Amino acid sequence: MPRIPTPIWLLAAAAPGLAVAEVDFAHEIVPILRENCIECHGGDKSKGGFSMNDRDMVLNAGVVDLARPEKSWLVELLRSEFEDERMPPPDTREDPLPEEQIKLIERWIGEGLPWEPGFTFGEDRYEAPLKPRRPDVPAGEGNPIDRLVDAWLEENGIERPEPLDDAMFLRRVSLDLIGLPPTPDELSAFLADESPDKRSRVIAGLLARDADYADHWLTFWNDLLRNAYDGTGFITGGRKRITGWLYGALHENLPYDEFVRQLVAPTKEAEGFIEGIQWRGEVNASQTRAIQFSQNVSQVFLGINMKCASCHDSFTDQWKLRDAYGLAAIYSDEPLELNRCDKPTGEKALAAWIYPELGEVDPQAPRAKRLEQLAGLITHPENGRTARTIVNRLWQRLMGEGIIKSVDMLDTEPWDADLLDHLATELVEKDYDLKAMIGLIANSRIYQSRSVIADEGSSSKEFHGPVMKRLTAEQFIDSVRQVTGSRPQPGKKLSPTLEAVAKAQGLNAWDGRPVRAALQELDPFQAALGRPNRDQVVSMRPDLVSTLEAIHLANGPEFASMLREGAIALLASNRSADELVDQVYLAALSRRPDAGERSIAMELISQGTPEEGIADFLWTIFVQPEFFYIR
Amino acid sequence: MNDSWIDPTRPEQSRREFLRRLAAGSALTFAGGAPRLLAEDEVKHPAARADSCILLWMAGGMASAETFDPKAYLPFEVGTPVEKIISTFPAIDTSVDGLKISAGLPEIAKIMDRGTLIRSHVQPDLGSILHSRHQYHWHTGYVPPQTVAAPHIGAWMAKVLGPRNEVMPAFINIGQRLEGIGESEEIKAFTTGGFFGSEFSPFNLPYPEKAAEAVKPPEGMGPDRFGRRYRALKQMLEHSPKGEGLSDFHQESMLRSLDAAHRLLGSPKRKACDLADEDPVSLKVYGDSRFGRGCLLARRLVEEGARFVEVTTEYVPFVHWDTHENGHKTYERLHAEVDRPIARLIRDLEERGMLDRTLVIIASEFSRDMMIEGVPGSNAKDQSRAKTDVIKEMKHYGLHRHFTGGSSVAMFGGGMKKGFVHGRTADERPCLAVENPVTIEDLHASIYTAMGMSPKTVFDIERRPFYATKDGKGKAVMDLFA
Repeated sequence: MPRIPTPIWLLAAAAPGLAVAEVDFAHEIVPILRENCIECHGGDKSKGGFSMNDRDMVLNAGVVDLARPEKSWLVELLRSEFEDERMPPPDTREDPLPEEQIKLIERWIGEGLPWEPGFTFGEDRYEAPLKPRRPDVPAGEGNPIDRLVDAWLEENGIERPEPLDDAMFLRRVSLDLIGLPPTPDELSAFLADESPDKRSRVIAGLLARDADYADHWLTFWNDLLRNAYDGTGFITGGRKRITGWLYGALHENLPYDEFVRQLVAPTKEAEGFIEGIQWRGEVNASQTRAIQFSQNVSQVFLGINMKCASCHDSFTDQWKLRDAYGLAAIYSDEPLELNRCDKPTGEKALAAWIYPELGEVDPQAPRAKRLEQLAGLITHPENGRTARTIVNRLWQRLMGEGIIKSVDMLDTEPWDADLLDHLATELVEKDYDLKAMIGLIANSRIYQSRSVIADEGSSSKEFHGPVMKRLTAEQFIDSVRQVTGSRPQPGKKLSPTLEAVAKAQGLNAWDGRPVRAALQELDPFQAALGRPNRDQVVSMRPDLVSTLEAIHLANGPEFASMLREGAIALLASNRSADELVDQVYLAALSRRPDAGERSIAMELISQGTPEEGIADFLWTIFVQPEFFYIR
Repeated sequence: MNDSWIDPTRPEQSRREFLRRLAAGSALTFAGGAPRLLAEDEVKHPAARADSCILLWMAGGMASAETFDPKAYLPFEVGTPVEKIISTFPAIDTSVDGLKISAGLPEIAKIMDRGTLIRSHVQPDLGSILHSRHQYHWHTGYVPPQTVAAPHIGAWMAKVLGPRNEVMPAFINIGQRLEGIGESEEIKAFTTGGFFGSEFSPFNLPYPEKAAEAVKPPEGMGPDRFGRRYRALKQMLEHSPKGEGLSDFHQESMLRSLDAAHRLLGSPKRKACDLADEDPVSLKVYGDSRFGRGCLLARRLVEEGARFVEVTTEYVPFVHWDTHENGHKTYERLHAEVDRPIARLIRDLEERGMLDRTLVIIASEFSRDMMIEGVPGSNAKDQSRAKTDVIKEMKHYGLHRHFTGGSSVAMFGGGMKKGFVHGRTADERPCLAVENPVTIEDLHASIYTAMGMSPKTVFDIERRPFYATKDGKGKAVMDLFA
């Protein structure tokens, strides 16, 4: 029977009280190697023919003796009294390594040289550019996006996907821009329209529906800025909503640079984002409000994962503990002490911006001033990172996958740097107009192409065309309600969310439009459909339908009552069964049923009471992938 | 019951295959955020000693001196200085020579020879020793808040070990309401699949007696109609002119999930959820309490192939084990509530030959002590509502303050020793663990090891390795194993 074969455990068992923790490769060894060895013996460097890129290379070089670690050549070199052979050489490091570090290396060897699986120092690291860059766009007619994408597809020998027909285009663009499918009337008007510019007119028209646009994009921004209506932290006043500010910003299409500035150096209405969550009780050093600020500002606006570096120098990118704390200190009112892996280091953090080539934050300035300076640096004209991050997010929302697929890791190589850089400079030139950016993408031929059939295992450098997107919880619920004509109105007393939204629209009362799911509190059905609790920043929700979700769809009381209400509303419209089937197909799928579908639907509707029959028919429509996915 | 409405046209797909493909799919589609199993080949899973795990959760902080680790007993007497009170119940003998537990648990006393008792479980003091934070820590192995959503241990088992039976949800959570109670948001934060996603989230059954409804067709819909509706869907999909895209893995996985849901809702196995189906004598033994019913439900679900089931006495602030006053009287009730169901559950499993392959754990987020909250020097807030130096009335009598320095965990079956006691707490206050302390990490490592899962199992999330036990450092306490 296998046991847990850890030598240290055996040691501890043999000698109680002598339990020495195993050496932690990632946290204890990597920093020593990285600081002292890798510059010459890692990456593409292998001085003296010795590279430490991976475990095998170290083992096979014959520099370690696992049985007698202190006799390892590597250890002897570290301890050598002779300056001409000592490592690291005196010209890179004056003194020998501190004895406790050498002891660690010795123990590491003695424990069999444990190594993080898959870890290497040799990664061919892509250097993400900081400055904006305007790439040459291939000459020709039409949307520059298409000229760039066509060139890329051609270069990579990939066929351009088929164009989307009018009905599928309208369904996609309508769901993508305002979160609702087109109504049958909108659909027939669009199909009847013969003018050549009807697609760009419809795009402009959707973007002009300010409230519908804001209702829809609120979901994305709530997730990203972790603006919850209820949840952790509110109970003790340790958290603030920014709903009113955010809704107003979306509703008036606040230019993105100003949007960022108002979030980073906020007024009262917007401060909930940088103030984060004051968790109850003691939290570890990487979750204080100041560190949350550092993590969230860098993730959301710059596509940087500062979570690793807020505990220790990151092993996977260039960010250091000092960077994480430098940003945190901009926020913090009190002097901040650096904590490494939750232990105080004694070093005080100095407010600092992470790309000093663009400018600096004055650590002596008062907090409000520091935040203002930071906001200025994030939106600095020479900072291309901010624009790249947001256009990549928008591309991902519309196309299903980002140009950099990991939308929070902008240090990753994009599949087409020219395309990303072009969009980023366009955004700046269009005065940071997000709607204009969305319009630009939606007007491209590549957006208006059929979804490619995604397969398992595509790499981060692959692109074939738009990828299917599942409806969010909010899109699903709103669509179901629109199709059945059972969209809810607010109660007599407006919820705080609706009140804030109405105010943000400049109104004193609710304007009478149905209440969208994004404006309702998180309930079990929305949670099952993937709406997060927003304790953490969420930039992408899972896009597969899980079994638990399917159970909710099959027998959940919430969905069942939506179907019942829908059936009642449809019954009240006094249509014949035939018309009703047509109507539902058009409203839900933007097409009519074929003969086979129609007869199955009619048969189903005829069973049980009319209400039951219709509810069951509705169910069969709403759980079809054709409804659930934006194709 | 008529089960013939299950559509048999779809070929059976193994759940494992389904999950494997699902996992492959998610890796592609949210490359930035999806967890990726790191180095599957290099993590060596131990041989499983148990197939199922039942966690009996004593929510709110079960005082060990009043349950599994009785100390000197002082009866109620007006004028007794409170610092003299350690146990308010006398100790009784158990089926293990020399092992005593608190009076009020006579049925559990009779089955102590079937399991192992850890008396030295310790937790770190997380500031004000807040229940929800300690429960988060205990259930995920990580101290909140975390920068990523940490999965519940049940989600780890669901993800790594998979379901035992394709129609039965792998991770089932019984007895905890998630809405309408205090700190519900905090409870939800760890009652989750975390970064594994909702596929691995718990199937929540807050009311055991209503469990049958959760796996039935919706209210007002008979099985005939439910089956008809699903058959119509399948016919429609076959006829759909848009069916060409169905090979896309997004759609495939959606249809597989719907299929899995309908298999569960249509399977004879779902009768496991129906307590009305249980022998009346057995129903009586398990009792009317939600916890008792939950234990019974857990047994039925494990019989039908559940992987991980948690049954909680339910956490509601200041209710049940969360005694901030009147502890003794409350414990009289709680003893009665848990004693028979737990003992019956162990015996039922034994009689069915399942105990060896089922690990049953009784645990709580921390213990209680009348005088000292947390470890000495702790900054925990004094939440005692009955403040006094001497016992004046009954409500003062009991253990009321949170204590993380030594608590009890009982483990039955699943390869654990029988009639064994591990660790010891001091007999004098503070009753700290003085022998073989067992941390949450090591306890989890022991549980995972019993279940055949390496404590070093690691996933890559946001380019950070995230281990089943914190930093992969949990070590199974091999002393517990037979």
